[in-house]
This record gives sequence, structure tokens and C-alpha cells, in this order.
Amino acid sequence: MRRNFTSQSKTLLLLTIVLITFIDYGRSYAQSKKVSGHITSADDNQPLPGVNVLVKGTTIGTTTDSNGAYSLDVPGSDDVLVFSFIGYSPQEIAANTNTIIDVVLVTDIASLQEVIVVGYGSQQEKEVTGAIQQINGSEMKDLPVAQFTQKLQGRMAGVRINQGTGRPGQGLNVQIRGAASLTTGSSPLYVVDGFPIVGDIANINPDEIETITVLKDAASTSLYGSRAAFGVVLITTKKAKSGTTNVSVDAYTGFQTVPQKGRPDMMNGSEWAQFKKESLEDRGQTVPAEFQNPQQYGKGYNWYDAMLRTGRINNYSISMNTSKEKFKASVVAGVFDQKGVMLNSDYKRFSLRVNTSFDLNKNIRAGFNVAPTYSYGNSPSSDGQFFGSGGLLLNAMLTPPVVPYQNSDGSYPVAVTTPGITTFPTPNWVRSIRDITSKKNENRLLSNGYVEWEPIQKLVFKSSINIDMGQTLNHFFQPSTAGRAFASAPSALGANLSETNFQYWSWLSENTLTWTKQFNQHNFEILGGYTVQKYRSDYSNISGSNFSDDRVQTINAALVKNNPTMDIQEWSLLSYLARLNYNYKDKYFLAASIRTDGSSRFGKDNKWGSFPAVSAGWIISEESFAKGTSWLSFLKARASYGITGNNNIGNYTQYNSVSGSNAVFNNTTVSGIAVTNLGNTKLGWENTKQLDVGLDLNIFHDRISFTYDYYQKLTDNLLYTLAVPIESGFSTFTGNVGEVKFWGHEFSISTKNLEGNLKWRTNFNISFSDNKVMALSTLSDSLFVSQGVVNTLTRVGGRIGQFYGMVQEGVYVNQADFDASPKAVDSQVGTIKFRDVDGNGKITFGNSGADRTVIGNPFPKFIFGFTNNFSYKGFDLSIVVAGSYGNKIAAITEQGTSNLDGVFNVLKGVKDRWRSPENPGSGLYGKTTASTGRERDEFHTRFIKDGSYLSVKNITLGYNVPVKAAKFVNSVRLYASVQQALVFTKYPYGNPEVGIDSNGNQPGSTLQGLDFSAYPVPRTFTFGINISVQ
Amino acid sequence: MRFKFILSMTFICSLYSCDSSFLEVPSKTSLTASIYFKTKDDFQQAINGAYGPLLGLYGGTSGAWAMGEMRSDNTTYKYNSNDRGTIAPEFIKDFLDDATNPVSSNKYNQNYIMIARVNQILDLIDGVEFDATIKSNIKGQALFLRALAYFDLVQYFGSVPLHITTAKTLEQTALPLSTIDVIYNQIIDDATAAAELLPDKATQDPGRATSGAANTLLGNVYIIQKKWAEAEFTLKKVTGYSLLPNYADVFEPAQKNNAESIFEVQYKQGTEGFASSFFYTFLVQPISANEVSAVTGITEVARTTEGYNIPTPDLINVYEGNDSRKDASIGYIIAGGVSYPYIKKYSHTHMLSGNTDDNWPVYRYSEVLLFLAEALNEQSKSTEALTFLNQVRDRAFGAGVSLISETDKVALRDLILKERRVELAFENKRWLDLVRAEIAESVMTAYGNNVKANPQDYYFPAGISVSSSSYTNIRLNFPIPASQVALSPYF
Repeated sequence: MRRNFTSQSKTLLLLTIVLITFIDYGRSYAQSKKVSGHITSADDNQPLPGVNVLVKGTTIGTTTDSNGAYSLDVPGSDDVLVFSFIGYSPQEIAANTNTIIDVVLVTDIASLQEVIVVGYGSQQEKEVTGAIQQINGSEMKDLPVAQFTQKLQGRMAGVRINQGTGRPGQGLNVQIRGAASLTTGSSPLYVVDGFPIVGDIANINPDEIETITVLKDAASTSLYGSRAAFGVVLITTKKAKSGTTNVSVDAYTGFQTVPQKGRPDMMNGSEWAQFKKESLEDRGQTVPAEFQNPQQYGKGYNWYDAMLRTGRINNYSISMNTSKEKFKASVVAGVFDQKGVMLNSDYKRFSLRVNTSFDLNKNIRAGFNVAPTYSYGNSPSSDGQFFGSGGLLLNAMLTPPVVPYQNSDGSYPVAVTTPGITTFPTPNWVRSIRDITSKKNENRLLSNGYVEWEPIQKLVFKSSINIDMGQTLNHFFQPSTAGRAFASAPSALGANLSETNFQYWSWLSENTLTWTKQFNQHNFEILGGYTVQKYRSDYSNISGSNFSDDRVQTINAALVKNNPTMDIQEWSLLSYLARLNYNYKDKYFLAASIRTDGSSRFGKDNKWGSFPAVSAGWIISEESFAKGTSWLSFLKARASYGITGNNNIGNYTQYNSVSGSNAVFNNTTVSGIAVTNLGNTKLGWENTKQLDVGLDLNIFHDRISFTYDYYQKLTDNLLYTLAVPIESGFSTFTGNVGEVKFWGHEFSISTKNLEGNLKWRTNFNISFSDNKVMALSTLSDSLFVSQGVVNTLTRVGGRIGQFYGMVQEGVYVNQADFDASPKAVDSQVGTIKFRDVDGNGKITFGNSGADRTVIGNPFPKFIFGFTNNFSYKGFDLSIVVAGSYGNKIAAITEQGTSNLDGVFNVLKGVKDRWRSPENPGSGLYGKTTASTGRERDEFHTRFIKDGSYLSVKNITLGYNVPVKAAKFVNSVRLYASVQQALVFTKYPYGNPEVGIDSNGNQPGSTLQGLDFSAYPVPRTFTFGINISVQ
Repeated sequence: MRFKFILSMTFICSLYSCDSSFLEVPSKTSLTASIYFKTKDDFQQAINGAYGPLLGLYGGTSGAWAMGEMRSDNTTYKYNSNDRGTIAPEFIKDFLDDATNPVSSNKYNQNYIMIARVNQILDLIDGVEFDATIKSNIKGQALFLRALAYFDLVQYFGSVPLHITTAKTLEQTALPLSTIDVIYNQIIDDATAAAELLPDKATQDPGRATSGAANTLLGNVYIIQKKWAEAEFTLKKVTGYSLLPNYADVFEPAQKNNAESIFEVQYKQGTEGFASSFFYTFLVQPISANEVSAVTGITEVARTTEGYNIPTPDLINVYEGNDSRKDASIGYIIAGGVSYPYIKKYSHTHMLSGNTDDNWPVYRYSEVLLFLAEALNEQSKSTEALTFLNQVRDRAFGAGVSLISETDKVALRDLILKERRVELAFENKRWLDLVRAEIAESVMTAYGNNVKANPQDYYFPAGISVSSSSYTNIRLNFPIPASQVALSPYF
């Protein structure tokens, strides 16, 4: 695989020379004539500014002015004019002898003539031979959400987008075609205006986006080489349209609430007091006065609800477009402001994007795009396990519901420790969430500059410099008034501080040469390119504790100052790419591409990787035999095959690293080191070979369009940090081992159910996906991953990341049941009964030779989306539905909320626990008087819930106010919208999309479907207005 | 125009220095092994780092005390019905532990991590030229640590894989089990070589391994193997040590590495990460902040999990009436209003809650004396044996106050075992002594019956006792962790 560098550059040079020899020096023109006309929209008969008018096959063209008018010199009467505008079906009209050509353009959401953004260029939709889906910003403009990924939910076949937590400012989990990797993340590569960005996608203002294109198969992603294995999301931002100057203002405001359905069903005051009383009685202990009369507590205090409030959401954005003769500019400025539904949480974002382009002369064009963003927010660590670093929400749920969180005078006590009632020192979590500061400030600058030079017709050289830089500052301060698990406030030891500074900087230089050539009916497009990217990040953290006073929150005042830490990460990537697109008669399409990546991450024996792909398409409906079929408007078959890579292996994994391991001898500290991981000089990327077969079918004059894709991916050389026996002194080894197969079917259907005054359009998509592990390491056929109580198993022959635990068979109801059943060493009558999976007559625990088995699959069997758009005169209504079927969720919160020790509040269901052979309860919960640890700490089927759901993601009702030929106002639109309107699911805890790890972060593929308690996803009601001024 | 193109493409290429160094980006935060291990200082730092795993091996809730002391009849846990989460050591105590127990995993893991660090040094050190004395010292320490680690592994787990070179590939990370004899031979080779390479206590940096420590370890191995003459010969080479006059002083942080100390694990209070916390691990819980402060005298927080290594009534009753070691070893503390015994040996003044300065004694000179007494008695040299035994008793009771004169081999054997029990109480010796004396099963079965009959005597709350299956399967070895079995193709 090692490539000789100089041979690479020689190849490139040769390619350039070959290209240049082919160049044709233009053509002579016949005598020209002037053609002019007006262009209007079929929808409202209003003039359409900014429509592109082009003489077909040339670069001669113009755009319509603000009145929809154009005028153009057309070389000859046999020329054809092409009228195109985004969101409308283009039209081709032969000029003939006409001098006035007026055109009415018809809107078409799924127009086949649509320009599809692809890697390093764009294509007409009909030319596409890969599996690509594009959505325009205008189609999802009213959704009141902070992030564009939320807007995509339910709209893309084969793209699973889950909101793992409702925390303001937090990104979503995006998975294309069941993407999964054993140890690395599986997020797609995001490319903004041609630049594979390295920073967070979550802080990009969705109002800046013009199109989002999802590249799914290898043919469309392979030009991104070693980073493309999980799919690519291309984002283009708003560019100025020719011939117009306009201003548009968008604003919406709304409120957010947590729906009642899905809040945890915890015991109320008297129920919990009763539970305490009974468990003390069962243990034979005396019941103290506090629990003698449970009814006195009534409903008690709902600690979960006390952590919540009604949130607010506001968004303002102004877009301006201008276009002068040789200069175009587009500006989008936005403010997003959210007050979260949990106390003391908020998120604000200020963003600006300026995109400009200059025609320096007739064949040189340059442009600069600059997009600074500043966002900040506060979000006390609400998510995660109660004894972890966060977990405020779960902690609140677990607080005995008989103690109040608020004093009668309205103040909040710092602790609610109540002798006789609380077992542990119990902080007031409502006070904690109010007092903890957990601020995140982010600055981000995304910018690029490019120059395009067309020295001879159809040969375009483009060079760009792109920069993505950002800084994130985290300030965390937990004052002495904010307690933590098992340690009530106030305490002089309490306050602690952590201050983190993270900055990154990445630049990319990209140089491409594109040449297009037509002769006879052969059409070629050839692309060659060379790119260089470099990245560096710097991280530092200072932390301390034991503050003398909460009011001074800097490290200076900390009595204990922890050792500060720093980390520097760097990588570099050097790539060559080439592509050939060929079609014959616009009917037979063939594409081939290759990218060669050299990466600093790869081991020295394996520096270079090549990623080729080929694809073909055939428009069957263009064949003469199909022409006679009147109902058939379009039929295309396509197929592609290619290889992509995943290089998410960490920057230094290939090296044997040596870390500090100081020692102390007789009170003297001396410096020491230790080799802390096994290096691997052969380390390389993960290879995914993907086959895609697809079909596009439109019938009844495009009233119904249907797309089907089947894919099969074979990922080998899996990047896999596999556990190795600790006897080697190391616990892991990162290597390229193993093989996983993924496959799936994707169906999309768009229909125009009603046309005319009442329009009704429907989009439905459904995707099935699955995976199978074909091989793992040479040492073991199983990969076990655990976090907290959760275990997952990835085993050869099975699926990735399956829940792995015990099967609950009830409880040992009575002595006879106990005697007749297999048991564990600490089982008793009345404790939980597990299934003897290995049939050896004993219940044993552990990952091998024990009774654990696969108890759930966190991946869905299929996901689906369903969008309906209605319009009647000025009114429009859209409903977006998204869903998932067959996935399981592990509700780890129940480790706390079904704890039988009687120290926490528990689920209402726990009242039906085993108390005696005569009173065995529901069979779900064992007795309180024995070793309760197994029931709580062994991962078993009681934690596993059905995660299938159908969510009505959004309902928007809009009205276009008739504007009476006002001078400046183009249009006024009012709308009301409900986001996360309804969720139909059997999952008992609110958010069936949940997926966070024990610290509240996004988990990897082997820890999917975990609910360690997360910030609830609110329902949002908004009202918005959109005014367009000219 | 064509020329311009060629020119511009060439220019772009040259802009980014088209050489392979662009793609070699080693970490700026940590060093890599390929450029390390080149100088004396590198090896000096590596041997320092090799001592690191000892801290986790002996300290914390998965420390060596759980398997070495609490497994035996000397100590137990204080059952906490409020917290059934952190109870892995409880299973160790009650003989309910299985291959998933994190305590036995910790012993397995930390020993092998230490072995790998040592192997890295031993693999490379002879390829680098530097001062021979320093090199011998580093090699000696490395061999001692490897012997110590394998001795710990073989005594608790029996047959384990034997790694004596660094794993470089995936396949080399796993080896088949070696027999106990093969492992002991390696330990004897390593300890013998270490004893020759290492300087003695007088010349070695305080706190590091010495020739005395290597000989003590080797003597201990021979005792286990019942090679009494070799044991006697080796242990008599342990010289330059003496008992401190006052037993309690031996454990004083102010007297770390004192004249009696042969090898101890080095801790240091403060925020550098070297602090111990034995007092807190061994503290009866739940306990209020004030109740802890009453003993420590500093600001404390309430402790709410489970208290371990609480002295049993069995042990407390073994001390003879006027034994000064009793008060030096065991104190009493009020927790939740009730008085409980606690280990006083590791309770000393310190500055921060949960952060103590106490070292852990691995080998002390008094144990060498008791080893010698044992080795001599087994060779029927009981008179000579008594001189060593009574040195230890003189310090405990006052010179000549409570001498033993028993010369019957069997009776004296029991007396030496009992002396070890009190002299070395809470130093992780008792469980291995029971195993070595082949009385582990009988002693612990009887102990278990006692607990079941009188759970309250063993600090259980009313209404709660051990599980009925406790103490029904007294196993002498611990299972190799299930996680490791799952990873190894060999076992």
C-alpha cells in the first residue's frame, strides 16, 4: 500500500498535460439576435427574479431582474434556451425566430432536473448514478429547532437521526445506512461548501443552509476516501441569486414544555412511606414514628417535576441578497435564544454568514465566504448516572418524596437530610441545579476563499483555501451549596471548579481541474485534484476544590489545586483524487472515481490508501421500446460499487506511547514513565466495500415517483481496539481485524395526491437494515463492552452491540419453587429468579461459562418517515412523522428507581414486590430483606424495553398574507408550529430516541440504546412570521 | 497557456513540501517507545514507573487486604443495608466470590501491569551502555518486582501465564498457563539474581528494593515450598535490620522505611496522587462527619458506603493480656452511636479527609525472625528457633517478660503461627498462613458457623445474616478473572 510520493505528483502532471492537449479552443459564432421576455411562477403568477436563462450547451446566459424580465443575445435560431430556477422545473424552448419568449415555471419539489450537489461538483438529478438524497432549505424552513439535523428527521431514507438528549445546544446522533463501527464513532463526514469540517456541526445556524445532500453509496462518497465510510453529508450555504436585491426577515417565538406522558412513574409521598414501613416490618425492625402513618404525607413532593419549567424559544434571522454586475453577496445573520425546560439551562447562538463572489474578468471568478458563530449556554450536568459526574435529574427522581425541596418562605434549603427519613446525607437537587454553573462558550469561524479560472472554455481550474477554527471554553463551578450524591451540602469541602479551554484549527487547500467535453452524443466530465489538510487542537484544564468562599470562583481561591493538564492533537492528510463521468445520449451513464489518501494516523508501514468506485446508470424510459408507455414518465436503473475508508483511529494509536508514571520513595517524588499502550506500525484505515443497486421510477406524469435501493456493505480490517489479556500488561490493542456485513433496503415514494386549488403531496420512506459480524480477532470471537450495569456482546455470527445479560424468570415464589429451581450462591426464597441458560443447574454470572445471553437488539428492524403537505389558496399545512421499529432500549435508570434497599424513591410498580409466599407480588421485584444487589446490579431483561415509536415530529400551519402590490413587500407569511407534537411508543420514559452513556455523552456503536436518564425532549409550540422585502 | 498550467500545478505541489515528513506527526503530549529507552535516565525513569502498580495493588477498596486479611478469620466487613452496591469485598469474605469479582481482578491486573513494565526494562537495558553499578541496581529492582508480582499471583491464583518478555504483537499478548513449579522456579531465579545485583539497605535509596528485600522474598518462597534449610540459609543473609523498641512506631508515617522495614509500599499524602487511605477504607460505615473527626481531628465528610477489614472478636480475643501490640493495632470508634473496633495500625494524623500518609509494610524484620523460628523448628532446631521467636515477644511484652520455652515441634509450630497472627495482624499474612498451615478449610468453616450462629457479634444489623451458602465452599485459590478467560485462547 505504500505509495511513492514523487510518482504521485508525476501522475498528476501527466494528467494535466493530457488534459491540455485535448483542449479545444472554442467555437465560432453565427450571427446573433436579441431575445427577451418575462418569467412568472405558475403558483401565483408573480414574476420570478433570479431565474437562470442559458443558451443550451454554451456559457451564454443571464438572469431575470426583479420584475422577472430578461434579455439575451442568442447566437443562432437553432439554439435552445434553458430556463431554470431552484425549486422549479426547468424548461427548454427553442429560440427559432422568436424575439419574445415568456415562460411560466412550474414548481417541482422532486424535479428530476434539479441540480444535485455531489462531491467536488454538481449534477442534474437524472445523471446521478449513486444513492444520493437532497433536501432544500426551503422545504424545512419553518421547523423551530436549533439544529439542521433535527429538520431532517423523517425525511431521508436510510438515515437514522436520533435526539439522544434534549439538552440545549447538544447535537443529534446521525447514522447513515446502519453505520456502525466497533470502537470509533460512526457519524457521517460533514462537508460545508466543499470543506470537510472538523468542528461541531451543532453550532451551524440552519437558516444559512441552502441544500443538504446525503451521499449514501460508495460511488458518491468515495471521493472523500478514508473518511467516507459512514456516509457524507454535503451542506451548501445560501449564495446570492443573480439580478435581485432583497431582504427577508424570519422570526419565531414559542414555548416548550415536557409532556406529562413519559415522566417517570415514581411513588408519591404516602406510597413511599408505606413502602418504607413495609420493608422495615419485613426485616423485623421497629417502624419509627416517621413511617407509622404513611397517609399523612399525601402526594408529597414531585422532585422530577420540580426540576422542570416552561421553556422559551426565540429565533430571528435576516437574509440579504444583492447582485451587481460583477459582484454577488448573500448575508445571513441570526440570533437563536432558548431557555431550556430544565432549571438553569439555556443556549444562545449568534451567527453571521457572508458569501460573496466576484467576476474578476470573463474567465476568472473569486469568492470569499466567512461565517463566524458565537454561542454560549449553561447546562448543569443533568444527564447520566446518579453517582456519576452528572445525573442531577436521576438524583432528583430518587429523592424521598416526603421531603420538601422548598421552604415555606419560598427559599430553597441546601440540604434535605432528614433524620429518620433519609438514609444518606441528601442534597437539595433543586437547589443544586439552580446553583451549579456549567457554562460553555464557543467561538467558531468557518471560512473559505476560492478562485476559479476558466482559461479555455470547459476547462475550469479551481483552487481554494478553507479554514475551520474554533474555541470552546467550559467553566464549571459547583458551589458549596450544591450537593452531590451521598454528600449533602453545605460543606467546606464541597465547592469545586473545572475550567477547560479547547481550541482547534484546521486548514485545507484544495486544487481541482475539471474539463467537460461533448462530441457526437458522448459527454465527458473529467476531474483531477490534489488536497492537503492539517489539523491541530490544544486542550488544557485546570481544576481545584475546597474554596473558602463561593463568591470567588477562580482557581486562585481553591485550597486544593489539582495538577493542570494539557493535550495537543494533530493530524495531516494528503490526497489525490480523480473522477470520470461519461454518458452517451443522456441515456447511458458511467462514472469512475478514485481518491488516494496519505494520513499521519496510519502506521509507518501502511501510510497510503486508495479508494476507487465505479457506477453506472441506464435511463430505460428513454429507450424507444419504453417511449410508447404513456403512464411511464421516467425509469432509471443504477448500480454502484466502491471502497471507502474510516480513519477514526485516534491520532497516535500507531505509536507505542510512553506516559508519565511518577513514583514516590521515602516522601520524595521522582519522575517515572511507563509504556502504556501497544503500538501497531501496520495500523491502517477500515475498508468498506459497498454495492448498491437502485431504481428510480416516475409514473403518471411524475405524479408518483418511487425510489428503491438495496445495499450491501462489507467492512473489513475493522478498526478495533480489542481487549487483549492483561497478562501482557496492556488491556487493549488497536488493530485492523475482523469483518462485519451490513445490508438493507430503502424505499421512498412521493406522490402528488391532489393538484389544483387544494394540493396534497405525500412523501413516505422506509428503510430496513441489519448487520452481521463475520469475523473478529484471532484471539477471541467475542467482544464484550460494559458500562455501569450494562453489558453488550458482539460475537461472530451475531449482530453488533447486543444487550447481554440475564433473563428474569420471576422471583422464587416459595420454598418449593426455590428447591425446584436452579439458583445462585446468594439466592433465597423471595429473591429474583434468573433463567439457567446453560442448563447446568446453577445460576452463575459473568461473560463466559455463565448464564448471560443476548437479551435485546438496540438497532431497529426498520425506520420510516412520512411527510404530508397540503395547500389551499394562501394556506398550507405540513405534517412530518418519523418512526422506528424493533429496537430495544436499556432503561438503566431503573437500577436506581427499583432499588429495594429503601433508601431512594422507587417506581410505583415496586409496591408489588415479593413479601411472602402468600403475597408474592407481580413477580418482577424480589424481597427487600436479602441481598438485593443481584437484582439491581446484574444486567437483566427487566431493564430492557421496547423502543419502537412513531413520532409526529412537526405540524406547521402557514398562511401567506395577500400583499397588495406593495412597493417593497414581496410576501408575508405567518405560521404556527408544534415540534415533537405526539409520540406513540410503549417506551415508558418519554424519549424513545434516547441514547447517552453514563456521563451523558453520545455513545459508540457498541453501547447503543442506553438510557441513563437524559434531559427530556420538550414539546415546542411556536408562532412565526416571514417577511420578504425588495 | 499550457506552460502556465504546468507551472501552477508544480507550484502548488512544492508549496506543501511534498516529502513524507508531512505525514509523520508523532504526539507532542507523550513520548513514544521507539525514541525512548536510549539512555540511563530513561531506564531510571522506567524503573520508577514500575513501582506504580504497587499503590493500587495494596490500597483502595480492591486492595490486597481483602484477599490477604479479610478472607481469613482476622477481619470482616460491617454490613450496610443502605448500600448494597460496593460489596465486592463482602463476597471475598463470605466465600461467595466468583470469577467476576473486581477485587481478585485487581490483584491479577496490577501484578501483570507491573510485570510488563519490568519486562520492558529487562528486554532493552543490556543493549544500552551506561554505568554498571546503576545498571545492576535497576536490573535488581526490576527482577525483585517481577518476583514479588509472580509470587503474589502464584499464591492466590495458582497456575498462571508466565510472561518474561514484552509482548510486541497481538498473538504474543496471550500465553498458556505455566505450572506452579515453573513459576516458582522463575521467582527463585529472579529473586536470587536480584539479591546479587541489588545494594543493601545501607547504600540503597530509601524505599527501593534492596538485597535484604530480595533475600526475604526468596526465604518466604522457600518457606512456602517447605525447603527449610534453604529458607534458613537465605533468611540469615538478611542483615542490617533491627526491631524498633516500640511496636507502634513501626507504622508511624514519620518513621517510614525505618530500621525494621525491609520493603514497604510508598505512599505520600497530598494531591500528587500518592496518598493512601487505609484508615478510610477500614472505617465502619455509615458514620457521620463528626464521628470520624473525633478520631482524625480534621474536617471530615460523612461516609456512607461499607466499612471493611473490621477486626473480628476472634482476633481480638487472641491477644494475650499484656501484649502491647493489641492497643497499637486495634482501636475503637463510635459510628452511628455504636462503638466498633477498627484498625489503628494505619490511623495517623493527616491533613485532608481521605488522604493519608501511611505506607504499607510488605516485609518487616520481625517477620524474618518468625520465618527463621519456623524454618529452624521444622528442622527440629527448636532451641535456636526460640531465640528468634522470643526476640519478637520481648519487644511486645518487655524483655524477658513473656518468653516461650516450648520445644515440642508441633506445639511450637502452633505458637509461631499464633505469634504471626498477632505480630503481623492486618498485614495481609493471615489467609496465606492458614493455607500454608493447611488449616484454612477447618478454621474458616468453624468461623462461618460462628457467624451464622451469632451474626450480631460480627456487626450484622438485627434481622440480617450472611447468605446460607456462605462458608460452604472454602476454596484455597481464586479463579482467574472471567474477563481474562474470555480473552485468552489458552484457558
